[in-house]
Amino acid sequence: MQDVVVLGVGQSEFGKFPERGIAELGGAAARTAIADAGIDPGDLQAAFSSRVYEAMITSQTILKDLGVTGIEMVNVENACAGGSTAVRSLYKDIAAGYVDVGIAIGVESMTTSPVAGKLIPPDKDDLDGQMGLSMPVLFALQAKRLMETHGAKEEDFAQVSVKAHEFGALNPKAQYRKRFTVEEVLGSRMVADPITLLQCCPNTDGAAAVVLASADFARKYTEKPVRITGSSLISGDYDFKRADLTTMPLGVKAATSAYEQAGIGPEDVDVVELHDAFATEELVHYEDLGLCPRGESVGLLRSGATSLGGRVPVNPSGGLLSLGHPLAASGVRIICELTDQLRGRAGDRQVPGAKVGLAQMLGGAATGLDAGAASVHILTV
Amino acid sequence: MTTSTTSTPFREGLFRDGSDGPTLLAGRCTSCGRVSFPVPDMCLQCRGQDIDAVELGGDAELLCATTVHMPNRHFPPGHAVGFVVLPQGVRIFTQLRPVDAKPFRSGMPMKLEIAPLWREDDTDVLAYRFVPA
Ligand SMILES: [Zn+2]
Repeated sequence: MQDVVVLGVGQSEFGKFPERGIAELGGAAARTAIADAGIDPGDLQAAFSSRVYEAMITSQTILKDLGVTGIEMVNVENACAGGSTAVRSLYKDIAAGYVDVGIAIGVESMTTSPVAGKLIPPDKDDLDGQMGLSMPVLFALQAKRLMETHGAKEEDFAQVSVKAHEFGALNPKAQYRKRFTVEEVLGSRMVADPITLLQCCPNTDGAAAVVLASADFARKYTEKPVRITGSSLISGDYDFKRADLTTMPLGVKAATSAYEQAGIGPEDVDVVELHDAFATEELVHYEDLGLCPRGESVGLLRSGATSLGGRVPVNPSGGLLSLGHPLAASGVRIICELTDQLRGRAGDRQVPGAKVGLAQMLGGAATGLDAGAASVHILTV
Repeated sequence: MTTSTTSTPFREGLFRDGSDGPTLLAGRCTSCGRVSFPVPDMCLQCRGQDIDAVELGGDAELLCATTVHMPNRHFPPGHAVGFVVLPQGVRIFTQLRPVDAKPFRSGMPMKLEIAPLWREDDTDVLAYRFVPA
């Protein structure tokens, strides 16, 4: 196994850009990542790209405009975890020694997708989907259990969103760049109680890209490499195996595996980026990632530990709630944010002295499974 | 013109509505005893191949509920959905029908109802939902 490092990162503008195609969105991110890495586009030996909606040869569509042709290009899909899947796929190829340097891209045009402005459903033939299940509904029902078993209040869920927007207001790339109060979050339109509109990620068009390389290759480009010390991707397990809706066993498995690989525990993590498509789910991920003991996520949130200036800030980018969520881009984008944090170049939202970052992503719903996929990456300097 | 009165279940083999009341149709693994809804091709717990047909009846307990304030698939804004647990421990996602605007609460006894929940091609589509017992 070769050590794998993040050599360069790039993110397009995030927002509503129906006039920008996949090549334009993805190209902006890929160009930035390649320039950040300091390599020539011709150095790239492999590309993995991810897109959920209307995907076809995404890598080729983006990279042909950058002069990159005639290499191995793979296009993957894993719902919101697709970007993480692209990163991990490239990571594995470099770790195994097949290639020395490559690019992973996530891109989505949500405003031109079939789900623009809608509640994101499972596959069209899915039983629960036909009966009215959608992502916000699933998380609203989980939130109802958190209120029963964890003593979570509507104000707690709103606070997750307030926290995200406090961070997002500091991120020039964020879609919202605006602070909200708990009252404003609770007073926004109800989507599926207790989840209000400001507790849902917006529809976002955008892309993110990372250049990964073997530690050997990276040596001549950087003296301060950001290493990927843990990488996991786990598919969902049968829902009947969990007695409790307030945990997602696949997320626990993904975290446990990544911690083991990195040889660290949750107490060693300085900064986290995770899937907060809906504010309520952040509490579940706190526990599944081991950031606090089981049952204590509400206390962790209320303590301020995960907020700006806290012990382990969660989603300093603004998260999906404030930065935005172009589905397949998010799994790559969280690697970009953590790399910037570990390099100490995250600007006003910098977590001081961050040395270990954890990137988590969750994707998809299907009848009978706890979720589609969960992925965790651990980055270390 | 009156609308058509023809109706069709939205999938075969999910439920039966007889004179003795409606029931969901499930499968029980002859090896490990696990009960599954809908009827699986094989047992998802032990991979056993022999599945007996069983009826789950129409009684359940509400685990959690939410009201969805946006249109979703066949359902207009304001529809209620949730998870209910059947006595055999089978947890299912389902549409809910409120009665007298009584709030849903965890642990509430619920009963199954087979009803036309939407229309397709001038046909009522029959599906399951639960109402407070
Ligand atoms: Zn069995």
